Amino acid sequence: MRHEAQSSVRHETQTAPLSPPDPGAWVDRHGDALFRYALFRLRDAALAEDIVQETLLAALQSHHTFAGRGSERTWLVGILKHKIIDHFRRACRERAQDQRDEAALEHEKLFQQSGEWIDHWDFARGPIEWHATPAALLEQNEFWGVFQNCLAGLPERIAATFTLREIDGLSSEEICEALNIKANNLWVMLHRARMHLRQCIEAKWFRANATQNSSGGGIKHGF
Amino acid sequence: MASKFLQHAKQTGIYWLARRLPTCKEIAPVMSESLERRLSARERVVLKLHLLVCEFCVRYLDQIILMHRALRARTAQLDEPPATPATSLPPAARERLKRALTNSRTEELGTERDRQD
Repeated sequence: MRHEAQSSVRHETQTAPLSPPDPGAWVDRHGDALFRYALFRLRDAALAEDIVQETLLAALQSHHTFAGRGSERTWLVGILKHKIIDHFRRACRERAQDQRDEAALEHEKLFQQSGEWIDHWDFARGPIEWHATPAALLEQNEFWGVFQNCLAGLPERIAATFTLREIDGLSSEEICEALNIKANNLWVMLHRARMHLRQCIEAKWFRANATQNSSGGGIKHGF
Repeated sequence: MASKFLQHAKQTGIYWLARRLPTCKEIAPVMSESLERRLSARERVVLKLHLLVCEFCVRYLDQIILMHRALRARTAQLDEPPATPATSLPPAARERLKRALTNSRTEELGTERDRQD
């Protein structure tokens, strides 16, 4: 086999590339995985499909760069990951001015409004005991449905930073660079995301389950 | 009773300390930032003392760390082997994707090389 791909000038070659791409087979082999990957991060089926399509088209354009290094799946996921970051970057740039919905994320009511302990947790609304572990939560698919809904309630910019940080596991520095924002700004957004999500999950899952199961006392576990 | 006396002293101590520390509302962003950067020595001491006297904030910190860990695990579960075929590409979407790629491929083949028979 000739290594055409090694010479980048020759990618518009007349001879066949290393492995002739078969995009139809890509869709069959990797479509579900790529779609699932995108949907988990974007939470919008139409958008996820668009980005998967963009990814496969980009892969088709640049299949000469693949040259059989690593697995085809890893290569495609790598392209998809970049496409998703590009999407977040665009969304952040477009939404940079619009910070009204972010201001609406204030959590004043969680804290005492007056009195000696003003700005400390409100006794009725402060964090309750969850009795949960990551392993136990992984077993509960309904929990992740609730989680996705809570995440969808975040303004787009904040959801983007949270997704890159907690789902993609990028570092603060990497996110600041990708989205072109300052560290302080990122930390404020992550704080708001965590405050909102913790509160939302507690209200819609842990408190809901606790009252549902109040006769037995304590919080219901599905394991 | 001695235990009652101790309990009273403890409560007075907690009260005294809590009045002199930043509020929960001020500590919450610091807890989040502790996942992002190394806190300064002063921030660490203040946070430790606050957690000593505030059960709510202990839960808050535990829970944002729990969310972080659970999400990392969930991501690994979803990205790695598709043992659970919970989410799959809708058939219509699959067809649309194939069509888009075939069209693009025909164009590409048309421009880059002769049609093969």
